[in-house]
Amino acid sequence: MKTVPSDGAAAAPTRSRRRAGGSAVIVSIAGAILSLLVFLAVFADLVSPYDPLRQNLIASLQWPSAAHWLGTDDLGRDVLSRLIHGCRIAVIAAGEATSIALLIGVPIGLFIGYRGGWWDWIVMRIVEAVVSIPGIMVAIVILALLGTGLHKAMIALGILFSTSFLRLARGVVLAEREEVYVRSARVVGASDGRILLRHILPNIAPPLIVQTTLTVGAVLLAEAGLSFIGLGVQPPDASWGTMLSTAAAFMDLHWFLAIPPGVAIILTVLSINLIGDVIRDGVGRGIAVAARPDAGAPRHAAPAVVEPSAAPPPRHRPDEVLRVEGLRVTVATADGGELPLISDLSLSISKGETLGLVGESGSGKTLTGLAILGLTSVALRTTHGSIVLNGRDLRGLSQRQIEEVRGNEVAMVFQDPTTSLNPAFTVGSQIAEVLRAKHGLSKPAAWARTVELIDRVGIPRPAERARAFPHELSGGMAQRIAIARALSCNPSLLVADEPTTALDVTVQQEILDLFRDLQAEFGMAILFVTHDLAVAADICDRISVMYAGEMVEMAEVGALFARPRHPYTRGLLSAMPHASDRMPPLPTIRGNVPRPGTWPAGCRFSNRCDFRIAACERRIPLAGADRQVRCIRADELILEAAQ
Amino acid sequence: MLRLIVQRLMALVPLLFIVSVLTFSFTSLLPSDPVDLILGDTGTQEQHEMLRERMGLNEPIVVRYVQWLGRAVQGDLGTSFFNSVSVTTALMQRLPVTLSLTLVSALIAIVVGVAAGIAAALRPRSWVDRLATVGATIGQAIPNFWFGLLLVAIFAVNLRWFPATGFTPLSASPVDWMRSVALPAIALGLSSSAAIARQVRSAMVGVLQQDYIRAARAQGLSSRRVILRHALTNAMVPVVAVLSFQITVLLGGALIVEQVFAINGLGTLAIGAVRQQDIPMIQGLVLVMVGLVVVVQLATDVVYGLLNPKARPS
Repeated sequence: MKTVPSDGAAAAPTRSRRRAGGSAVIVSIAGAILSLLVFLAVFADLVSPYDPLRQNLIASLQWPSAAHWLGTDDLGRDVLSRLIHGCRIAVIAAGEATSIALLIGVPIGLFIGYRGGWWDWIVMRIVEAVVSIPGIMVAIVILALLGTGLHKAMIALGILFSTSFLRLARGVVLAEREEVYVRSARVVGASDGRILLRHILPNIAPPLIVQTTLTVGAVLLAEAGLSFIGLGVQPPDASWGTMLSTAAAFMDLHWFLAIPPGVAIILTVLSINLIGDVIRDGVGRGIAVAARPDAGAPRHAAPAVVEPSAAPPPRHRPDEVLRVEGLRVTVATADGGELPLISDLSLSISKGETLGLVGESGSGKTLTGLAILGLTSVALRTTHGSIVLNGRDLRGLSQRQIEEVRGNEVAMVFQDPTTSLNPAFTVGSQIAEVLRAKHGLSKPAAWARTVELIDRVGIPRPAERARAFPHELSGGMAQRIAIARALSCNPSLLVADEPTTALDVTVQQEILDLFRDLQAEFGMAILFVTHDLAVAADICDRISVMYAGEMVEMAEVGALFARPRHPYTRGLLSAMPHASDRMPPLPTIRGNVPRPGTWPAGCRFSNRCDFRIAACERRIPLAGADRQVRCIRADELILEAAQ
Repeated sequence: MLRLIVQRLMALVPLLFIVSVLTFSFTSLLPSDPVDLILGDTGTQEQHEMLRERMGLNEPIVVRYVQWLGRAVQGDLGTSFFNSVSVTTALMQRLPVTLSLTLVSALIAIVVGVAAGIAAALRPRSWVDRLATVGATIGQAIPNFWFGLLLVAIFAVNLRWFPATGFTPLSASPVDWMRSVALPAIALGLSSSAAIARQVRSAMVGVLQQDYIRAARAQGLSSRRVILRHALTNAMVPVVAVLSFQITVLLGGALIVEQVFAINGLGTLAIGAVRQQDIPMIQGLVLVMVGLVVVVQLATDVVYGLLNPKARPS
């Protein structure tokens, strides 16, 4: 027997959504089953072919036949007739116990919720005590006091299930009591009874209906259980539970006896639960599911428009650690197509160098970082290009090989340090785990090295901090731990995804200094993803500007800031706050980064660009070698960051 | 961790007090006089009075409660009205039986549920996923004793792999114990396993999208390690929170399923006690049940604290 937790109504939205298609059919079937049940219960005497109690010992334990559609039981009684009369018991039982539960639970719940104080405390402790015991035991105790029989069993179940109604009613009252309209009604001088009746009752009706359907299903199962063990309906009366009790005694002789009542119970309870689900989805929750945030995403833009144009590969640089060429990442769309998120992206980073990847949100910066590590989510696919790290193309590697590369050759630091550390383990164990898994260090050796690393990233009392859990550390401290973990295996490339964005300004600077120090010491290349140009100017050697999934400009930091060549870069620089002049309002780039799939066919910035001409309707290649720009007018425009 | 246990134990004190008061008050709630129940229509007026005096029924109710509680704490739960057997002895004989059933079924529910939940989370909409969803929906509607009957028909009567009835104590023969417990435990545990699978699945799907999972992958840890250590540890937190409820349900279910397999556990004892209005036995049963539930809650609280450092008192 299962008591119904009043908060157990949390149906996963996915379930209701998935069911949406077949739900109409299922609901009609469930409705038909329940209608049949009620019909049979009402007209049992007319419908059933035999008297359910008439014995015929000569024809006992028969298989289904034309005379007895479901066979006969041990006393030769017609199983179908008993099943039909069982419907009546089921309906009576469900109605009786559920009504009792409602009549006891709702008024008491309303009362204690409304009054609060000691009444509330005492009743709730009693409810907790009752709920903590298995439901069947509670019923058994009550039956010990009342004696056995259908109606007494239903009183027992009614009392048992009243606890869920009580908690529900109390919860609703507690929530509604402080609502403005109830308070104003009280100010106006409405009596307590009137407030309960007029203002609170209508609000608890929807959840009550849901709880009622849940209870009816649970009551049916409980009644069957109690009758099965002989404490509910007493023989020779036919209920599904007593029929199963008979069947249990004859399992070795005639197992079929167990089938009709069992199927009847399952179908009935299943139907009620399914209809209950539908009601629940209809009552408030369904609305939230209906409006999906991405429902308005346009799907018309043909992915084929964005052909990877043959951009010249970036010039080889000395000491190259990472070289990405022609990278293209797509997402699978609902209609089976593929929508590009990143196209034709090439870049390279040398040992000890920091390349900044800047752009507005949605430009594909973070995705680029993840794609390099092969960590894009399942719906995304890297379709074109090569990612050569230390002379080896990562795209050709097996799962096992890429796992080997991660951590050892490339590591990543994420934006929010408090969520990128596992809350379940101490921070030290998370670093030590990497050392043990990747370098095969022994437990003590890994721990010693962990403490060294934590010390190295500038955390005082490292041995003590290593035993802290992530939630016990500040954001800056947690980010230092994340950096220590990323560097634990001395990777040649570090991808830092907005590592300072979630931190306080003062802490930001410390973390940037830490990156610089560590780079000087370990000599790794850094791909630094940020939307903050000031941060990029501070830490990067070169900057790549991304817009709508492609690179629009790449230059040395000094050159980029002094003379941007792409109108978008200029816009970004103009929107940068300067400490010196706060007076003029910051210019902004009008509009937003277009979503993937809504990119203009030609220059993707063209719809926001002040310098647009007809030629911008065509795809623009990335031009240049050391300094690259994707603008057809790059040579004629003289752009300056508006000071 | 010790502090957590102590803290949880302290929180249980009001519950235990209320349960003991409720349990004790059964005697007073009983419509018929316990003395009449024991002696029936036989016995003289004097005999009735003597028994009344001996049972302490003439004392004020508070005194009786304190006396009863004092004895109960020492393990003396009185004697059965029906056959003068010590309630404690009777309960201790039956407890291992019901406990075996409950624990094995909980084990089945957890192992199958967690495994299926992980599989469903890793491959949404696969057959495992659909099976867990459908299984949970149907599992909610199947009476577990009926499922037990089916298992008997198939595996005991037809295939003869398992005994249809009876219980062999673990101490007598571990193999026979396993065989006698297998079918009832499956009957009980399987529908709970579907419920647990659904919970594990939804928790796991949420956890797999967390930054720390991506960070663990970025660190080059194997998928296996990331899923079984990093993701599962966190996904189990909400599951463990409702596990004690599931085990309580299993304990209640065991009382009924015992009847299918003619196993003499607490369920059989309880049914007999109800029919005979054997109040001391019922009181003892309630206390044992509450004791079990308290132990289960304590255990799940400790596991919860181990999995979720934020829940530990600092």
